[in-house]
Amino acid sequence: MKTLLSKVPRVVLVLVVLAVTGLVRAPIEAGLRNRLVAANLLLPPPGQTAMEQMSQSALMGTLGGLRSLVATYLVLEAFEHFSSKDWEQLAQSYNVITSLEPRDESHWVSAIWHLGINATANMQIDERIPSFERERRFREYAAQAINFAERGLQQNPQSVDIRMQLAEVYREKLKDNCETARVYGEAMIQPGAPGMARRFHGYFLARCPGHEQEAYDFLIGLYREGLQQRKPTLIKEIKNLEEFLKIPVLRRIPEDDPDRRLGEPAKSTNPTLPGGVEIP
Amino acid sequence: MSEPTPTHSPRSAAAAVAPFSLVRIWTIATGTVTQLVRMKSFYFLLAFAVVIVAIGNINIPSTPAKELAMLKKVSFGTMDLFAWLFAIVSTALLIPRDQEDRTLYTILAKPVRRIEYLLGKLGGVLIVIATSLALMFALCAALLYARETIYVAEEFTAMQADGRYSPEDIDSQIGLIRAQGLQPGLLVAVLASFLKATVVAAVTIFFSTFASSSLFTIIVSVLVFLIGHAHSLATNFWLAESKHNAFVEIVVKVVKILIPNFQLFSFSEGIVLGEKIVPALVWQMGGLTGGYVVVFLLLSLLVFVDKEF
Repeated sequence: MKTLLSKVPRVVLVLVVLAVTGLVRAPIEAGLRNRLVAANLLLPPPGQTAMEQMSQSALMGTLGGLRSLVATYLVLEAFEHFSSKDWEQLAQSYNVITSLEPRDESHWVSAIWHLGINATANMQIDERIPSFERERRFREYAAQAINFAERGLQQNPQSVDIRMQLAEVYREKLKDNCETARVYGEAMIQPGAPGMARRFHGYFLARCPGHEQEAYDFLIGLYREGLQQRKPTLIKEIKNLEEFLKIPVLRRIPEDDPDRRLGEPAKSTNPTLPGGVEIP
Repeated sequence: MSEPTPTHSPRSAAAAVAPFSLVRIWTIATGTVTQLVRMKSFYFLLAFAVVIVAIGNINIPSTPAKELAMLKKVSFGTMDLFAWLFAIVSTALLIPRDQEDRTLYTILAKPVRRIEYLLGKLGGVLIVIATSLALMFALCAALLYARETIYVAEEFTAMQADGRYSPEDIDSQIGLIRAQGLQPGLLVAVLASFLKATVVAAVTIFFSTFASSSLFTIIVSVLVFLIGHAHSLATNFWLAESKHNAFVEIVVKVVKILIPNFQLFSFSEGIVLGEKIVPALVWQMGGLTGGYVVVFLLLSLLVFVDKEF
């Protein structure tokens, strides 16, 4: 050993040891890395687009292991863009944030909410912008929100929150009943979906032309599950569908139309409202 | 009366000294801890406290669960940053400081082996890092628990007062908040930061065995850390940018072989986000850390073993 140390330059020995151990550890680390990524403990590398869009400091922070700190900082920055209604910058910030932490559903949900609800709402009321331009931007922001949702669902296929937020965009802003029903339909079969997702799927399916019979069967199925499902809106939608589908009187549900009963309280023989709410 | 003549020659006295002593390593380690404490190294905890209190008071429209998640991410990100930065700076300062103070000569003049000296120094740095991480975690846990308790109480009161929510609805909402609150798994996230800092300290101690100054060691160690962290993230980007140029591919491979992959040690990020911990993977990461420490200590010894001072 002493001979080796005296004959071979130390730097060569160091490099040899580094190279040999590097060659040994490379496959071990590759396997370990794959297992950590599969277990969601290690985040996959940000996409190329995200790297290009990052500011120099954000890029350095990300590469230096401060990924979650950079993401948090960008969330705060995005909030500044939201406060100043700078929707383009906000979308760009969320592109980077979601690339840094693709498995954090809340980032995708926030991006969809900001673009699909706030930015579109802003376009509905901001009269400084010509109406044609506002409509164009309204559609653009809604499309960006949908795009975020699609990318978010690729990363988090079982996400209920992303679907619920997307459904809100279709429901409140785009007024697309068929798409709303489709998204609620996807949400309701995911683990941890709230009960309202099923009812909302039925309500919006009932308003989707050509799907009335399907909606009726679905809503009647919910109705038969018991009192906890018999909300006023469910009764109302079933009543509407019974009229539309001309369901025979004997097969109709016994409850009164909630709207009609609200308008005519004196005629009601039932002392409670649908859903078990007592009339004071 | 004449003085008794020594019965042992210097050679036999040296032979009587144990070839490897944990006691000697422990003595050097505790001395290193004292040395680092005297450098007022724990003052950075104040900066940490300011950061987490500040982030805890930022008001953005958010749910309680998201606020807790943000607090956790910033706290653990800052902990991780302080741990590796502290590992580099403190380790880089130690050997040159011992040389300046001439403590190194006194130590090496005694029957202390060079590997014991290196192990003692590394041990001392790791004790200080572990203590710092424990203090930072205690601070973070207290704040997280306080916030969690407030949010849970507020949410419970609000949902009960509303009257529309069933006990199951309330439980599931409270569960969402608790999932982002103080969880035992967060201790593993602290361990991940400690493992990363351990490897960083081992690499830095290697540089400090041949560096001419602390500044050089700090700069080189930070660079190596950044490259070691970035290469697995940036490899695809570089290769795509260079259209898989052969030269870039070779450079990437050489870098991967020579420089440790620090990005692997960022598995605390997943734990902080609430992912399930896989104990086998944590053990494997512990093993990998051990491997790195052994290799870099051997490399340090290779340079340090017959270095003349």
